[in-house]
Amino acid sequence: METRLALRMYQEYTTFFQKAERERRWNPFDDIPWDKINKNASDELALCAETFCGVEMYLPDYVAGGINVVRKSFGQAWFQANWAYEESKHALALTEYLLRSGKRTDEQMVDFQNHIFDKTWELPFKTPREMTLYGVIQEMATFVIYLKQRDRASAEKCEALHKIYDFIARDEIAHCRFYQTVVKVLLEEDREGTLGDLSHVFAKFEMPGVKLVPDYDGRVEVMRSAGIDRAVFLQKVYFPILRYLGITRHELLQASRKWKEAHGEDGAQPILTHLNGAHGEPRQQRAL
Amino acid sequence: MKSQDLIALFRQVAKEVDKRDFPELTGDSVISDLGIDSLSMMQIVGEMELKLDIMIPDEDLVELVTVKDLLEVVERRMERS
Repeated sequence: METRLALRMYQEYTTFFQKAERERRWNPFDDIPWDKINKNASDELALCAETFCGVEMYLPDYVAGGINVVRKSFGQAWFQANWAYEESKHALALTEYLLRSGKRTDEQMVDFQNHIFDKTWELPFKTPREMTLYGVIQEMATFVIYLKQRDRASAEKCEALHKIYDFIARDEIAHCRFYQTVVKVLLEEDREGTLGDLSHVFAKFEMPGVKLVPDYDGRVEVMRSAGIDRAVFLQKVYFPILRYLGITRHELLQASRKWKEAHGEDGAQPILTHLNGAHGEPRQQRAL
Repeated sequence: MKSQDLIALFRQVAKEVDKRDFPELTGDSVISDLGIDSLSMMQIVGEMELKLDIMIPDEDLVELVTVKDLLEVVERRMERS
Protein backbone atom coordinates (compact mmCIF):
# COMPACT_ATOMS: atom_id res chain seq x y z
CA MET A 1 0.00 0.00 0.00
CA GLU A 2 1.38 3.38 -0.92
CA THR A 3 2.41 5.69 1.91
CA ARG A 4 -0.26 8.34 1.45
CA LEU A 5 -3.09 5.82 1.42
CA ALA A 6 -1.63 3.93 4.37
CA LEU A 7 -1.46 7.16 6.36
CA ARG A 8 -5.08 7.98 5.55
CA MET A 9 -6.22 4.56 6.70
CA TYR A 10 -4.18 4.87 9.88
CA GLN A 11 -5.67 8.29 10.55
CA GLU A 12 -9.21 7.04 10.00
CA TYR A 13 -8.64 4.09 12.29
CA THR A 14 -7.23 6.18 15.12
CA THR A 15 -10.20 8.53 14.83
CA PHE A 16 -12.56 5.56 15.02
CA PHE A 17 -10.67 3.97 17.89
CA GLN A 18 -10.44 7.09 20.01
CA LYS A 19 -14.16 7.70 19.66
CA ALA A 20 -14.88 4.07 20.51
CA GLU A 21 -12.69 4.23 23.62
CA ARG A 22 -14.21 7.50 24.78
CA GLU A 23 -17.87 6.99 24.00
CA ARG A 24 -18.81 3.47 23.10
CA ARG A 25 -17.26 0.91 25.44
CA TRP A 26 -19.72 -1.30 27.33
CA ASN A 27 -19.52 -4.33 29.50
CA PRO A 28 -21.99 -7.17 28.90
CA PHE A 29 -21.93 -8.08 32.60
CA ASP A 30 -22.05 -4.64 34.21
CA ASP A 31 -23.98 -2.45 31.80
CA ILE A 32 -27.05 -4.55 31.06
CA PRO A 33 -29.93 -4.27 33.56
CA TRP A 34 -30.05 -8.02 34.07
CA ASP A 35 -32.58 -7.64 36.86
CA LYS A 36 -35.00 -6.25 34.29
CA ILE A 37 -35.38 -9.30 32.09
CA ASN A 38 -38.95 -10.08 31.23
CA LYS A 39 -38.97 -13.85 31.61
CA ASN A 40 -42.52 -13.90 30.29
CA ALA A 41 -41.56 -12.36 26.97
CA SER A 42 -42.51 -14.41 23.94
CA ASP A 43 -40.59 -17.42 22.75
CA GLU A 44 -40.37 -15.71 19.36
CA LEU A 45 -38.32 -12.93 20.91
CA ALA A 46 -35.91 -15.52 22.30
CA LEU A 47 -35.76 -17.39 19.01
CA CYS A 48 -34.78 -14.20 17.20
CA ALA A 49 -32.13 -13.50 19.85
CA GLU A 50 -30.82 -17.05 19.48
CA THR A 51 -30.69 -16.74 15.69
CA PHE A 52 -28.80 -13.45 15.80
CA CYS A 53 -26.56 -14.92 18.47
CA GLY A 54 -25.86 -17.79 16.08
CA VAL A 55 -24.95 -15.42 13.28
CA GLU A 56 -22.62 -13.52 15.61
CA MET A 57 -21.02 -16.81 16.66
CA TYR A 58 -19.35 -17.29 13.29
CA LEU A 59 -16.89 -14.74 14.60
CA PRO A 60 -13.85 -17.03 14.22
CA ASP A 61 -14.56 -17.32 10.49
CA TYR A 62 -15.31 -13.63 10.07
CA VAL A 63 -12.07 -12.74 11.82
CA ALA A 64 -9.91 -15.30 10.06
CA GLY A 65 -11.19 -14.32 6.64
CA GLY A 66 -11.58 -10.61 7.16
CA ILE A 67 -8.32 -9.75 8.83
CA ASN A 68 -6.14 -11.59 6.35
CA VAL A 69 -7.67 -9.76 3.40
CA VAL A 70 -6.52 -6.42 4.85
CA ARG A 71 -3.42 -7.50 6.76
CA LYS A 72 -1.19 -5.20 4.70
CA SER A 73 -3.09 -2.12 5.86
CA PHE A 74 -2.36 -1.16 9.45
CA GLY A 75 -5.52 0.94 9.75
CA GLN A 76 -7.83 -1.65 8.31
CA ALA A 77 -6.23 -4.67 9.97
CA TRP A 78 -6.29 -3.03 13.39
CA PHE A 79 -9.87 -2.04 12.77
CA GLN A 80 -10.67 -5.69 12.12
CA ALA A 81 -9.11 -6.63 15.45
CA ASN A 82 -11.14 -4.00 17.25
CA TRP A 83 -14.24 -4.97 15.28
CA ALA A 84 -13.77 -8.58 16.39
CA TYR A 85 -13.54 -7.54 20.05
CA GLU A 86 -16.75 -5.56 19.78
CA GLU A 87 -18.57 -8.29 17.88
CA SER A 88 -17.48 -10.87 20.43
CA LYS A 89 -19.51 -9.02 23.05
CA HIS A 90 -22.62 -9.26 20.92
CA ALA A 91 -22.76 -13.06 20.98
CA LEU A 92 -21.78 -13.00 24.64
CA ALA A 93 -24.56 -10.62 25.65
CA LEU A 94 -27.18 -12.52 23.66
CA THR A 95 -26.02 -15.82 25.14
CA GLU A 96 -26.29 -14.36 28.64
CA TYR A 97 -29.78 -13.12 27.84
CA LEU A 98 -30.91 -16.56 26.65
CA LEU A 99 -29.52 -18.22 29.79
CA ARG A 100 -30.57 -15.64 32.36
CA SER A 101 -34.06 -15.36 30.89
CA GLY A 102 -34.48 -19.10 31.28
CA LYS A 103 -35.32 -19.39 27.61
CA ARG A 104 -32.37 -21.72 27.09
CA THR A 105 -30.39 -24.03 29.34
CA ASP A 106 -26.61 -24.33 29.51
CA GLU A 107 -26.85 -27.66 27.70
CA GLN A 108 -29.01 -26.20 24.95
CA MET A 109 -26.55 -23.37 24.38
CA VAL A 110 -23.56 -25.70 24.18
CA ASP A 111 -25.45 -27.88 21.75
CA PHE A 112 -26.34 -24.80 19.69
CA GLN A 113 -22.72 -23.64 19.69
CA ASN A 114 -21.52 -27.07 18.59
CA HIS A 115 -23.91 -27.00 15.67
CA ILE A 116 -22.73 -23.51 14.75
CA PHE A 117 -19.07 -24.50 14.83
CA ASP A 118 -19.72 -27.56 12.66
CA LYS A 119 -20.10 -25.25 9.67
CA THR A 120 -17.75 -22.66 8.29
CA TRP A 121 -18.53 -19.26 6.86
CA GLU A 122 -16.63 -18.52 3.67
CA LEU A 123 -15.40 -15.11 2.63
CA PRO A 124 -17.89 -13.75 0.05
CA PHE A 125 -15.38 -11.54 -1.79
CA LYS A 126 -11.66 -11.70 -2.35
CA THR A 127 -10.24 -8.18 -2.43
CA PRO A 128 -9.86 -5.67 0.42
CA ARG A 129 -11.96 -3.13 -1.46
CA GLU A 130 -14.78 -5.55 -2.11
CA MET A 131 -14.77 -6.66 1.52
CA THR A 132 -14.84 -3.06 2.69
CA LEU A 133 -17.86 -2.39 0.49
CA TYR A 134 -19.45 -5.58 1.75
CA GLY A 135 -18.85 -4.28 5.29
CA VAL A 136 -20.72 -1.06 4.53
CA ILE A 137 -23.84 -2.89 3.37
CA GLN A 138 -23.75 -5.65 5.95
CA GLU A 139 -23.22 -3.34 8.92
CA MET A 140 -25.94 -0.95 7.78
CA ALA A 141 -28.43 -3.76 7.23
CA THR A 142 -27.53 -5.30 10.58
CA PHE A 143 -27.96 -1.95 12.28
CA VAL A 144 -31.48 -1.63 10.86
CA ILE A 145 -32.37 -5.18 11.89
CA TYR A 146 -31.13 -4.68 15.45
CA LEU A 147 -33.05 -1.44 15.80
CA LYS A 148 -36.15 -3.34 14.85
CA GLN A 149 -35.33 -5.99 17.45
CA ARG A 150 -34.73 -3.30 20.04
CA ASP A 151 -38.20 -1.91 19.45
CA ARG A 152 -39.65 -5.38 19.66
CA ALA A 153 -37.88 -6.02 22.99
CA SER A 154 -39.22 -2.74 24.24
CA ALA A 155 -42.76 -3.64 23.17
CA GLU A 156 -42.40 -6.87 25.15
CA LYS A 157 -41.18 -4.89 28.15
CA CYS A 158 -37.78 -6.57 28.36
CA GLU A 159 -35.45 -3.76 29.39
CA ALA A 160 -32.41 -6.01 29.46
CA LEU A 161 -32.79 -7.17 25.87
CA HIS A 162 -33.69 -3.65 24.78
CA LYS A 163 -30.38 -2.44 26.21
CA ILE A 164 -28.43 -5.26 24.57
CA TYR A 165 -29.84 -4.41 21.15
CA ASP A 166 -29.25 -0.74 21.82
CA PHE A 167 -25.54 -1.36 22.46
CA ILE A 168 -25.21 -3.73 19.53
CA ALA A 169 -26.95 -1.38 17.09
CA ARG A 170 -24.70 1.45 18.20
CA ASP A 171 -21.63 -0.70 17.53
CA GLU A 172 -22.92 -1.75 14.13
CA ILE A 173 -23.52 1.78 12.89
CA ALA A 174 -20.07 2.81 14.15
CA HIS A 175 -18.57 -0.04 12.13
CA CYS A 176 -20.61 1.01 9.12
CA ARG A 177 -19.34 4.59 9.44
CA PHE A 178 -15.74 3.41 9.51
CA TYR A 179 -16.22 1.32 6.40
CA GLN A 180 -17.97 4.24 4.71
CA THR A 181 -15.11 6.54 5.57
CA VAL A 182 -12.66 4.10 4.04
CA VAL A 183 -14.85 3.84 0.94
CA LYS A 184 -14.77 7.62 0.60
CA VAL A 185 -10.98 7.43 0.57
CA LEU A 186 -11.13 4.64 -2.00
CA LEU A 187 -13.49 6.70 -4.15
CA GLU A 188 -10.99 9.55 -4.08
CA GLU A 189 -8.25 7.15 -5.14
CA ASP A 190 -10.14 5.32 -7.88
CA ARG A 191 -13.75 6.36 -8.29
CA GLU A 192 -14.53 4.25 -11.36
CA GLY A 193 -13.03 1.08 -9.95
CA THR A 194 -14.64 1.53 -6.56
CA LEU A 195 -18.04 2.19 -8.09
CA GLY A 196 -17.69 -0.90 -10.26
CA ASP A 197 -16.89 -3.00 -7.21
CA LEU A 198 -19.79 -1.45 -5.29
CA SER A 199 -22.24 -2.39 -8.02
CA HIS A 200 -20.84 -5.91 -8.04
CA VAL A 201 -20.95 -6.27 -4.24
CA PHE A 202 -24.49 -4.91 -4.06
CA ALA A 203 -25.53 -7.39 -6.73
CA LYS A 204 -23.97 -10.39 -5.00
CA PHE A 205 -24.57 -9.35 -1.43
CA GLU A 206 -25.97 -11.66 1.16
CA MET A 207 -25.85 -11.46 4.93
CA PRO A 208 -23.27 -13.60 6.71
CA GLY A 209 -23.93 -16.73 8.61
CA VAL A 210 -27.69 -16.78 8.52
CA LYS A 211 -28.13 -19.74 6.24
CA LEU A 212 -25.61 -21.67 8.33
CA VAL A 213 -27.55 -21.36 11.56
CA PRO A 214 -28.98 -24.72 12.74
CA ASP A 215 -32.62 -25.48 12.04
CA TYR A 216 -32.69 -22.63 9.65
CA ASP A 217 -35.91 -23.61 7.92
CA GLY A 218 -37.78 -23.83 11.21
CA ARG A 219 -36.74 -20.28 12.08
CA VAL A 220 -37.83 -18.74 8.81
CA GLU A 221 -41.45 -18.08 9.62
CA VAL A 222 -40.76 -16.72 13.08
CA MET A 223 -37.89 -14.64 11.77
CA ARG A 224 -39.95 -13.02 9.07
CA SER A 225 -41.02 -10.16 11.27
CA ALA A 226 -37.43 -9.66 12.36
CA GLY A 227 -36.23 -8.97 8.86
CA ILE A 228 -36.54 -5.91 6.72
CA ASP A 229 -38.71 -5.74 3.65
CA ARG A 230 -37.77 -4.22 0.32
CA ALA A 231 -39.14 -0.78 1.16
CA VAL A 232 -37.15 -0.64 4.38
CA PHE A 233 -34.07 -1.97 2.61
CA LEU A 234 -34.25 0.79 0.02
CA GLN A 235 -35.20 3.49 2.49
CA LYS A 236 -32.87 2.59 5.34
CA VAL A 237 -29.96 0.81 3.68
CA TYR A 238 -29.57 1.33 -0.06
CA PHE A 239 -30.40 5.02 -0.51
CA PRO A 240 -28.66 6.16 2.70
CA ILE A 241 -25.48 4.38 1.67
CA LEU A 242 -25.49 5.99 -1.76
CA ARG A 243 -26.29 9.41 -0.29
CA TYR A 244 -23.59 9.16 2.35
CA LEU A 245 -21.02 8.21 -0.27
CA GLY A 246 -22.19 10.88 -2.71
CA ILE A 247 -23.18 8.39 -5.40
CA THR A 248 -26.28 8.56 -7.60
CA ARG A 249 -28.28 5.59 -8.80
CA HIS A 250 -27.39 6.42 -12.38
CA GLU A 251 -23.69 6.58 -11.60
CA LEU A 252 -23.93 3.16 -10.01
CA LEU A 253 -25.85 1.86 -13.01
CA GLN A 254 -23.17 3.06 -15.42
CA ALA A 255 -20.51 1.52 -13.20
CA SER A 256 -22.39 -1.75 -13.21
CA ARG A 257 -22.44 -1.80 -17.00
CA LYS A 258 -18.71 -1.12 -17.19
CA TRP A 259 -17.97 -3.70 -14.53
CA LYS A 260 -19.88 -6.35 -16.45
CA GLU A 261 -18.15 -5.42 -19.70
CA ALA A 262 -14.76 -5.64 -18.04
CA HIS A 263 -15.39 -8.84 -16.13
CA GLY A 264 -17.56 -10.64 -18.65
CA GLU A 265 -20.32 -11.22 -16.18
CA ASP A 266 -23.60 -11.96 -17.88
CA GLY A 267 -25.68 -10.25 -15.24
CA ALA A 268 -25.59 -10.40 -11.49
CA GLN A 269 -27.98 -12.53 -9.56
CA PRO A 270 -28.62 -10.56 -6.39
CA ILE A 271 -29.30 -12.47 -3.25
CA LEU A 272 -30.96 -10.39 -0.57
CA THR A 273 -33.61 -12.74 0.63
CA HIS A 274 -32.31 -13.05 4.17
CA LEU A 275 -32.94 -9.37 4.76
CA ASN A 276 -36.57 -10.04 4.35
CA GLY A 277 -36.59 -12.06 7.50
CA ALA A 278 -37.09 -15.19 5.48
CA HIS A 279 -33.37 -15.63 5.48
CA GLY A 280 -32.02 -17.52 2.55
CA GLU A 281 -35.22 -18.44 0.81
CA PRO A 282 -34.86 -18.87 -2.93
CA ARG A 283 -34.65 -15.52 -4.58
CA GLN A 284 -37.54 -16.23 -6.87
CA GLN A 285 -39.79 -16.73 -3.89
CA ARG A 286 -38.86 -13.88 -1.62
CA ALA A 287 -37.09 -11.16 -3.46
CA LEU A 288 -36.91 -7.89 -1.58
CA MET B 1 -46.46 6.50 -24.60
CA LYS B 2 -49.36 4.14 -23.88
CA SER B 3 -49.56 1.92 -20.82
CA GLN B 4 -49.11 -1.20 -22.92
CA ASP B 5 -45.96 0.27 -24.42
CA LEU B 6 -44.63 0.98 -20.95
CA ILE B 7 -45.34 -2.57 -19.86
CA ALA B 8 -43.54 -3.82 -22.94
CA LEU B 9 -40.60 -1.57 -22.13
CA PHE B 10 -40.57 -2.80 -18.53
CA ARG B 11 -40.63 -6.41 -19.76
CA GLN B 12 -37.75 -5.76 -22.14
CA VAL B 13 -35.61 -3.97 -19.58
CA ALA B 14 -36.37 -6.55 -16.89
CA LYS B 15 -35.22 -9.24 -19.29
CA GLU B 16 -31.99 -7.37 -19.97
CA VAL B 17 -31.31 -6.87 -16.27
CA ASP B 18 -32.41 -10.26 -14.93
CA LYS B 19 -31.46 -12.35 -17.97
CA ARG B 20 -34.78 -14.15 -18.20
CA ASP B 21 -38.19 -13.75 -19.78
CA PHE B 22 -41.29 -12.50 -18.00
CA PRO B 23 -44.11 -13.93 -20.14
CA GLU B 24 -46.76 -13.65 -17.42
CA LEU B 25 -45.93 -10.07 -16.49
CA THR B 26 -48.88 -7.64 -16.41
CA GLY B 27 -49.49 -4.28 -14.79
CA ASP B 28 -50.97 -6.01 -11.77
CA SER B 29 -47.98 -8.28 -11.26
CA VAL B 30 -46.42 -7.91 -7.82
CA ILE B 31 -42.77 -7.11 -8.42
CA SER B 32 -41.47 -9.38 -5.68
CA ASP B 33 -43.62 -12.25 -6.99
CA LEU B 34 -41.79 -11.91 -10.29
CA GLY B 35 -38.59 -12.68 -8.41
CA ILE B 36 -37.25 -9.19 -9.00
CA ASP B 37 -35.45 -8.04 -5.88
CA SER B 38 -34.90 -4.45 -4.84
CA LEU B 39 -31.48 -4.08 -6.43
CA SER B 40 -32.57 -5.52 -9.76
CA MET B 41 -35.52 -3.18 -9.52
CA MET B 42 -33.20 -0.22 -9.11
CA GLN B 43 -31.34 -1.32 -12.24
CA ILE B 44 -34.59 -1.66 -14.16
CA VAL B 45 -35.73 1.77 -13.02
CA GLY B 46 -32.37 3.28 -13.95
CA GLU B 47 -32.46 1.77 -17.44
CA MET B 48 -36.03 2.99 -17.97
CA GLU B 49 -35.07 6.48 -16.82
CA LEU B 50 -32.25 6.57 -19.34
CA LYS B 51 -34.40 5.26 -22.17
CA LEU B 52 -37.24 7.69 -21.41
CA ASP B 53 -34.98 10.58 -20.43
CA ILE B 54 -36.66 11.13 -17.09
CA MET B 55 -35.46 11.26 -13.49
CA ILE B 56 -37.51 9.71 -10.72
CA PRO B 57 -36.84 10.89 -7.14
CA ASP B 58 -35.60 8.13 -4.81
CA GLU B 59 -38.53 8.61 -2.45
CA ASP B 60 -40.97 7.66 -5.21
CA LEU B 61 -39.31 4.26 -5.53
CA VAL B 62 -39.62 3.05 -1.97
CA GLU B 63 -43.22 1.89 -1.82
CA LEU B 64 -43.61 0.28 -5.24
CA VAL B 65 -45.45 -3.03 -5.02
CA THR B 66 -46.79 -3.77 -8.49
CA VAL B 67 -45.51 -3.08 -11.98
CA LYS B 68 -48.39 -0.64 -12.37
CA ASP B 69 -47.19 1.32 -9.33
CA LEU B 70 -43.89 1.92 -11.08
CA LEU B 71 -45.46 2.69 -14.42
CA GLU B 72 -47.72 5.30 -12.82
CA VAL B 73 -44.67 6.98 -11.33
CA VAL B 74 -43.01 6.85 -14.75
CA GLU B 75 -46.05 8.34 -16.47
CA ARG B 76 -46.23 11.19 -13.99
CA ARG B 77 -42.58 11.97 -14.58
CA MET B 78 -43.03 11.85 -18.35
CA GLU B 79 -45.92 14.29 -18.12
CA ARG B 80 -43.75 16.73 -16.19
CA SER B 81 -40.78 16.52 -18.55
